[in-house]
Amino acid sequence: MKNGFRIFLAALVALGFSWCAFVLAPVLQLGAEKQTTVLNSSDLYPVQRGDFAAQGLQVYRANGCAACHTAQVQQDGVGCDVVLTGMGTNQPADFKAFMKSLCELPDLQNCSDSLSKNLAAWNGALPKILLHGAREADAGKLADKLSAAGLKSEVRIVATGPDIARDWGLRHSVAEDFLWDDPVQLGSVRIGPDLANVGARFPDARWQLLHLYAPQVVVKGSTMPPFRYLFKMEKTRGEPAPDALKLPRELAPPSGYEVVPTDQARELAAYLLSLRAEVPLHDAPFTPPAPAPARPNKP
Amino acid sequence: MSDESDHIPPEPPGRPPGPRSPAPMGFFILTLVLLFLAAVYFDHHSGWFNAQVYHPFVNANELEKYQPKSGEAALLARGMATYERVCGVCHGNDGAGKPGQAPPLAGSEWVLENGVNRLTHIPLTGLSGAVDVKGQTWNLSMPAMGAALSDADLAAVLTYIRGSWGNKAGPVTPAQVKAARAAVAGQPPINGLQALKALPE
Repeated sequence: MKNGFRIFLAALVALGFSWCAFVLAPVLQLGAEKQTTVLNSSDLYPVQRGDFAAQGLQVYRANGCAACHTAQVQQDGVGCDVVLTGMGTNQPADFKAFMKSLCELPDLQNCSDSLSKNLAAWNGALPKILLHGAREADAGKLADKLSAAGLKSEVRIVATGPDIARDWGLRHSVAEDFLWDDPVQLGSVRIGPDLANVGARFPDARWQLLHLYAPQVVVKGSTMPPFRYLFKMEKTRGEPAPDALKLPRELAPPSGYEVVPTDQARELAAYLLSLRAEVPLHDAPFTPPAPAPARPNKP
Repeated sequence: MSDESDHIPPEPPGRPPGPRSPAPMGFFILTLVLLFLAAVYFDHHSGWFNAQVYHPFVNANELEKYQPKSGEAALLARGMATYERVCGVCHGNDGAGKPGQAPPLAGSEWVLENGVNRLTHIPLTGLSGAVDVKGQTWNLSMPAMGAALSDADLAAVLTYIRGSWGNKAGPVTPAQVKAARAAVAGQPPINGLQALKALPE
């Protein structure tokens, strides 16, 4: 081989270059990730999982959940919502005329179309979103104009994109979200919905367990296979066990028996409940919604 | 069979080497232009490998712009915007004042007073005549710049100047501004140091 050394050198350069790009650069960029603080708060994020939930990650992995579920919310854009929260002393008729005059201002020409569209079919209920997903500069201008007229408004930072519209999360996933995951279960196929924020969407452990045992009972038309081998049927001894599943008649065990989760199912449910990517961070900013009454479980 | 395998075909006549022609210049120029465009794109969209910058944010400044503000931070941001629009022209965006135009606000004893009554009066009625600021006499005239601002905006501006550029004094509330505005309605500008000192602190 005449050019052995040259070929070795070329291979070294090619492999070394890709090693630098795919291994060294990410480590330099993200290798030192650590807990961060929640925006406008001193709380640390993410909180380390308890042993039980941490073991649930291994159950999640062993059952191949990541083959059908991702755990990474994507975000297409970021914008500002201008929300009208109070009319001050303004009369509705004056307000309409004032908003009409605002739509004609050259300052606000970028957003006048969506502004007039949003106001066209408004019945006067507050709070009212005047602009959705606007640029920060436009939202600021509109808020200034509103406050100068004595109207009360609020500028909220919101993430936008299909995942956000599906209610899968409030912001994109960031590296910190996966700080305690070993191995990280990102997933790449979405046969089922994204699970990055599933603990906040379905905060009830009973719901999670029932869903694992019989997905179609709680989610109509679900294509998820049941994971019944994570549960066992036991003879009821006196009182039913506190976490025995409440099943519909066609799935219920014979009388005198009950279906209870095994430790694996409990660990998996604890892990799913720990998936809560719902707080704003510096690298994923948004205005958190006002604390609402408990969210109903919905698919 | 063996005949065929033994048969070595004659060497085909090699193509005579043509004249060496240089690579076209256009190719190099196109490469350079593409490289340049790629560099510009990288500069605008990569966030320069900053671990905090994710799509859809393109750099750290844009990320900063979309940080939601709450309470004090929101008030300071509002104060800063209003200050730079209304006051910064003369007092300077750094609060250091400008000779012949306006005295400094950074470190000014009038700004840092515990009571905010005098400070709130100044933008509401204006101030003229000789006034001492940081050991220097300024004989200028300030119009009632704050009279046109809303209570909340003026309170935000005053909070901003009391808490910026090394100043460390407490905030001013919209209620204080409202009270002061009612008290000074129709009054002429404060005239000189004595009149300013005569105001309750």
